[in-house]
Amino acid sequence: MTPEAKAAGKALSRLQKRGSRSLLLAMAAPLVGGGLLVWQAWTLADILGRAIEGGEAPQALLPAIGLVLALLITRAGLGALGEWFGAVGAETIKQDLRELLFSSLLSRSPRRGEMASSGAAVAAIVDQVEALDAYYARYLPAMAQAALLPLVFGAIILPLDWVAGLLFIVTAPLIPVFMALVGWGAQRATDRQAKALTRLSGRFGDRLRGLLTLKLFGRAEAETAGIVAASEALRQRTLNVLRIAFLSSAVLEFFAALGVAGVALYLGLTFIEFLNLRSSPLTLQLAVFLLLMAPEVYNPLRLLAAHYHDRAAAKAAIVEIERQLGELPTEAKVLHDIAPLPGDAIAVTLDGITLRTPDRQRLVLHDTSLDIAAGEHVALVGPSGQGKTTLLEAIIGLRQHEGRIALDGADLGDWPLESLRARSFLLTQKPRLIHASLADNIALARPGASRRDIEQAADLAQVTPFADAMADGLDTIIGEDGLGLSGGQAQRVVIARLFLRDAGLILLDEPTAHLDGALEAEIMTAIIGYARGRTLIVATHSAAVAGKLGKSWRIAGETLLPAPLPARKKGVA
Amino acid sequence: MKALASLVPLFRRRAGAMVLALLLALVTLAAGVALLGTSGWFITATALTSAGLAFNLFVPSSLVRGFSFVRILSRYGERLVGHDTTLKLLSDLRGWLFAALFPRVPLANRSIRHGDLVSRLTADVDALDTAFLVAIGPFLGAILIGAGVTAVLAWLLPGAAIIYGLAIAGAVLIVPVLLVALGRSAGRQVVAAAADARIAVYDAVAGHADLTLLGVLGTTSRRFSQAMQHLRGLRLTTAALTIGAGWLVQALAALALVGTLWAGVEAHAAGTPDPAVMVALVLAVLGSFEATAVIVRSVGKAASALAAAERLDALASLPLTIAEPATPRAFPLNAPIHFSDVSFGYTPDTDVLKAFSLTVAPGERIAIVGPSGGGKSTLLRLLLRLNTPQAGAISIGDTVIADIASADLHAQMSLLSQDSPVFIDTIRNNLLIARLDASDEELWQALDAAHLGDFVRAQPKGLDTPVGEAGRTLSTGQMRRLCLARTLVSKAPIILLDEPTDALDRATELAFFETLSEATRGRTVLMVTHAAIPPGTVDRVVALRNGRAD
Repeated sequence: MTPEAKAAGKALSRLQKRGSRSLLLAMAAPLVGGGLLVWQAWTLADILGRAIEGGEAPQALLPAIGLVLALLITRAGLGALGEWFGAVGAETIKQDLRELLFSSLLSRSPRRGEMASSGAAVAAIVDQVEALDAYYARYLPAMAQAALLPLVFGAIILPLDWVAGLLFIVTAPLIPVFMALVGWGAQRATDRQAKALTRLSGRFGDRLRGLLTLKLFGRAEAETAGIVAASEALRQRTLNVLRIAFLSSAVLEFFAALGVAGVALYLGLTFIEFLNLRSSPLTLQLAVFLLLMAPEVYNPLRLLAAHYHDRAAAKAAIVEIERQLGELPTEAKVLHDIAPLPGDAIAVTLDGITLRTPDRQRLVLHDTSLDIAAGEHVALVGPSGQGKTTLLEAIIGLRQHEGRIALDGADLGDWPLESLRARSFLLTQKPRLIHASLADNIALARPGASRRDIEQAADLAQVTPFADAMADGLDTIIGEDGLGLSGGQAQRVVIARLFLRDAGLILLDEPTAHLDGALEAEIMTAIIGYARGRTLIVATHSAAVAGKLGKSWRIAGETLLPAPLPARKKGVA
Repeated sequence: MKALASLVPLFRRRAGAMVLALLLALVTLAAGVALLGTSGWFITATALTSAGLAFNLFVPSSLVRGFSFVRILSRYGERLVGHDTTLKLLSDLRGWLFAALFPRVPLANRSIRHGDLVSRLTADVDALDTAFLVAIGPFLGAILIGAGVTAVLAWLLPGAAIIYGLAIAGAVLIVPVLLVALGRSAGRQVVAAAADARIAVYDAVAGHADLTLLGVLGTTSRRFSQAMQHLRGLRLTTAALTIGAGWLVQALAALALVGTLWAGVEAHAAGTPDPAVMVALVLAVLGSFEATAVIVRSVGKAASALAAAERLDALASLPLTIAEPATPRAFPLNAPIHFSDVSFGYTPDTDVLKAFSLTVAPGERIAIVGPSGGGKSTLLRLLLRLNTPQAGAISIGDTVIADIASADLHAQMSLLSQDSPVFIDTIRNNLLIARLDASDEELWQALDAAHLGDFVRAQPKGLDTPVGEAGRTLSTGQMRRLCLARTLVSKAPIILLDEPTDALDRATELAFFETLSEATRGRTVLMVTHAAIPPGTVDRVVALRNGRAD
């Protein structure tokens, strides 16, 4: 077993504790049912024996027949109960694990390198977690039955007929050994299959996002063929896993068949007195009982074989989840909202900082210092790709940096994350609009904001004019990623968020991209008006925007240089 | 059911393999029933025989062995063939769905979200595997085996035939129908809830930075927990239904067994049939319920399969974006583009364009400027026939674009849209999407024109540098420039640029405008922009105001 699979096995048993009570019942119920099965088979054999060998009247057999019916129905009930508890336990575990993964994903730094792609994260949290279902709901109960029932049955049969008993007790434990031999390669094949599934899911998501682009470039057929090819590759892998699984259950069936056929033949030979291994004569009742029990001895093992690859699949799923999202968290992180907090403007100090691009390949800033006083309004200009975004994200603690960044004189590291978030606002480039109403998208900046506040923010960001033209106004549902809005309209929606924040430090990354000159001017006036008494840093390559701000810096040669301000209109703060 | 019907052609393609899997399943079941029956007959007959060693052992014992091994082999074959067919079917389905999607983008239904789409393609398609493998197959198998055993009973033990027939009909026909009827809405809700969970994860990963910065992680994770709680409840409802149905089937099986037993005992007291036959029949009845045990679980899944089929069908039967012309006309080369009195609105009450007219000569470079939201991008979409104007016409030369096959139309134009994506692939493959046979030299030319050449040259892997999801290894500006380079790689004579310099700083923007005429020499350019354009960049600037050209 690879160390990975071993660790995955441990993770599975750790998770099991979250649903242990239900799972215990799920394992116990079929065991009780198995016990009743012996009684049922004995009664059934008794009826046949008494009717045929004893010649008893049907009426005399009625109570026994009633007992068989009652036993059958009770056993069915026990089976149903076991399945129900298995389902409850598995659902509990899956829900817990999903919340665990989701909260730990969210609590990480959003700019951490090697983040899972969204397609892969969905595959891990939704699909791979689902792959654990069968392990808890079916494999574990099957395992308990396979471990106990054949031995119990064997032990009951042994004193009744030692040959049959011995046959069962010897053949039954051999089966798992052979199955293990056949299933040797199953784990690896299952791992490969899980990886292929993730890849397929990622590819789907990626290609779907660009469906229109692919269509316009006439790639419809090629991409469709590509998806089919990826899907076929997945089929091959899946089939490899299944072939092994089916082979191992065929081996089991082979032994079970040998057992049943062997018992039948042994009984027949004993009856015609070809074999004389018993001390007492064989009754028809006992023979029917043995014949009825023969398949039942192997049944728990067959059940286990049917769910044998559930364990491998669950382990592979755990490995895959950890590959995508990192080690399984043990405790759920409780995440809290951070409400915006009103307060004074925040001064920003960069003291000999060194910054690298997100891929850490290139220096953005080297040993650079800069002071931005509280309440100052500053533009950050410079060619794109020079690291303006990286600098803004570093100031707000999303990027690693060397040197010292201080806000209001306190080191960034000393700021409690809560207060940092509550007091600051960063408008990222291409912020995501969620599938909800315009109002909800704006209110994301402050859950629970009053309708009046939302409307006011919408006014300031010039959302109201286009919202009013829509059927439901601010309550118009917009599609995921702002589908149905023009680029400029989507940008105005996210700008509106600013006005709900009351932040002491406002960082805007290209706030007026997608906006034309007139609108840009209007919105910048609103932003600057709102930012009075707050610190404002705007990364932009619009000269008009930079011109409206007090100072301008550009990134050049790995340092910050004052940029000449274009001709400023007088009277604009 | 109607939804499943639309998938029939896909199933038909694999009909041969499906019939084979079904036959093998039947052989497996029949061998199982026969095995138990023969064994019962064998031991009873030997118990009652007075022939001693003269009893013919050979036939029954070889029958027992034969049935055992037939059963093992046919079960192995059935599983392999069944799964292989199902997986092939899934590939077919994925291809079918993708092929159905292309002519339908941009999707008319705004409520279909990206996360939802991915969910449809993967989960729904997977859910459909149960439609054949674990629903239809075992279902038909159970019906046939049930009918077979009923017939045998009617012949040998008529008293048992009625009760057995009724019980198995109830187990095979009535319980599944009930289960589907009851479980259908729950199944539909499970699929929808799972899609919601997916979207929640998509929203969280794609918007992670924004959600963190806005301090709404608590709300986000609370919403996710609620969605999960909802999903759990729905799944348990379906599970309860399935388990209840399973119990019902077993209870019916118990009745059938006890009924057969009673009929057998009574018939035996009356002198018929042969006791060995009676034991054989009781055991065969017991064996026949192996078939019904499987169908309940599969029918439970069939409810979600049906829901999945409905959703796929809904997606595939969305209206086509445009109607293709019955007799397409060729795209007139070197002909002017005419917009004549074009009016268009995304919703009936808002007109984006009002009687807009414009003629673009071949090789002309035109910038379209105007307020944001004023219909500049819409103009490009109309020209590509992604939307159809409510009034007026767009033509190339004398040919209305509605008369040109859309593939042909698209081949003549290359668009950089505001949401052009970077694909998870290498830089080279991202560019080759525009034109598969472009040479490296042409790729570099396009990269240089988009001012990305130096950056790519500085990468250790050059053109083979992988770019991550949404181009995470690239800055927003670089992603934009990569998309621009892709647009330029295409040899299309008409270049449509929607805010090409959106993420560029002014210096790069100016440099881009300078190279634009060079990069697009001999081609028609329609550029939507709000940037200040240096003189000489374009031949003409058209201002779009209030839906009209100023």
